[in-house]
Amino acid sequence: MKTNFDAIVVGAGPAGSSAALTMARTGLDVALLERGAFPGEKNMFGGVLHRLTALEEFFPNFWEQAPLERHIVKKALSFVTEGACFNVNFDTEESDKPPYNGYTISRPKFDRWLAEEAVKAGATLLCRSTVDDVIKENGKIVGVTLLRDGGELRAPVVIAADGALSFTAKKAGLRRPKFDPSHQAVGIKALIDLPKEVIDDRFGLVRDQGASNEIVGCTAGVRGGSFLYTNYDSLSLGMVLHLSSLSKSGKTPYDLLNTFMEQPQIAKLLRGGRLLEYSAHLVPEGGYDMVPELAGDGIMLAGDAAALCIVTGLNLEGINLATQSGVLAGQAAIEAHQQRDFSKAVLSHYRQLLEESYVLKDLKLYRRTPKMLHNDRIYSQYPELICGMFDEIYRIDGQPKETMTKLMLRKVKETVGLKSMLTDVYGGWRAL
Amino acid sequence: MKINLDEIFDYTSFNVDRDPHIKLDENICKSCDQRACTNCCPARCYTWDEENQKMTFVHDGCLECGTCYVVCQNDAFTRWRYPKGGFGVSFRMT
Repeated sequence: MKTNFDAIVVGAGPAGSSAALTMARTGLDVALLERGAFPGEKNMFGGVLHRLTALEEFFPNFWEQAPLERHIVKKALSFVTEGACFNVNFDTEESDKPPYNGYTISRPKFDRWLAEEAVKAGATLLCRSTVDDVIKENGKIVGVTLLRDGGELRAPVVIAADGALSFTAKKAGLRRPKFDPSHQAVGIKALIDLPKEVIDDRFGLVRDQGASNEIVGCTAGVRGGSFLYTNYDSLSLGMVLHLSSLSKSGKTPYDLLNTFMEQPQIAKLLRGGRLLEYSAHLVPEGGYDMVPELAGDGIMLAGDAAALCIVTGLNLEGINLATQSGVLAGQAAIEAHQQRDFSKAVLSHYRQLLEESYVLKDLKLYRRTPKMLHNDRIYSQYPELICGMFDEIYRIDGQPKETMTKLMLRKVKETVGLKSMLTDVYGGWRAL
Repeated sequence: MKINLDEIFDYTSFNVDRDPHIKLDENICKSCDQRACTNCCPARCYTWDEENQKMTFVHDGCLECGTCYVVCQNDAFTRWRYPKGGFGVSFRMT
């Protein structure tokens, strides 16, 4: 087997395959390593893929080329309590025409497709290849060793796109050896089988239209939230829980998800469904302050390995940032080859490219958001406040009404407290 | 519909390696006062037996999410790596 390449990419997820595709198209000899039996086998996410502007140059008609489930036209944010649900729903024709703003996808299909595109461009995909360690010579990374047979692969540049835990980054000394649990969340998901027609009727969709729904208040006070997305003929229902908060709570992710599935307004949407698959994955939610060193001698980090993830509560972005970072890391590797210099000084141009793109600009913009979201009131008291208020506004019970202002103030005092509310409004305004 | 982890092998596929990809120093778990792994692991791979003061870890149904790696505050792992290529969990549809 060939063991020398121009570049090695660890991980054939969206970041890795984008990097491999970018490099292979300019003629570099690239090894794309994947620990699964096929790309996507180990990959899991909530289910919504945002528009991938980074790949539009490669795939001008992305929506006709990539294996997609539905394009998202409806976006909703819900606040739920044990028996009530308040929705903010946005449904727009603007999202019903290409270039679409987002899609639901199945990772085993999508990741495999993107990796195969890299192979078509000339990359060598090596599956069942778990990286064991990096090879260092004179302080520079010059390759990796594989777990299965201790085999070695060598290249002057390695792009680590091996996900949220990135052991490649750890072994290269780019990330801290220990993660802060307040920087990570665990996502769990139940894939639920439902016929397409039922999904269309239940969610008010036609053709390949899809809906996405983020839900707050369903986590028994644990910081986190749920999501419900429509695939072509299945639903993705899951929950993302902050690890620092989950560990203190003593609650289990699956019990919380089971309770949520029985919440009456949610249960109606799932009725008749059958569980197809259960999965879990980490989400690096620490934001800009969690981003590690992005380049070293002979190595760069991309995607989740670089903690490129934005969580604002309204938007959850990951794969779009991953593909963008993969393309930029690929470009930096191409430049390094032109200069025949793979030192940290040269590869650090990758960081500069990320700084100039929306990736690090947005991460910086939302730098305060992770801390703002570490506010327990958001996950129990606010949903109670919102649902309680609307219950009283709509309720006809023969009693005289109070003014809206009075009602609001009374409800705020009953739940969140006036002082906390003012602090939170200010904090939210600063963070978003 | 309910997620019942006793039946996880009915709906999530695994190709179990006999050699576990995660190994614990159970003595460290014995003196741990948190054991966040027992409630945080989404696959319930960790169980603490209060009576016998013993931590049991079963890697068969591990979803390879990394939660235990992050929440363990006492570095109880003598090994924490992903399974050898081709082994472990296999998401088919997700």
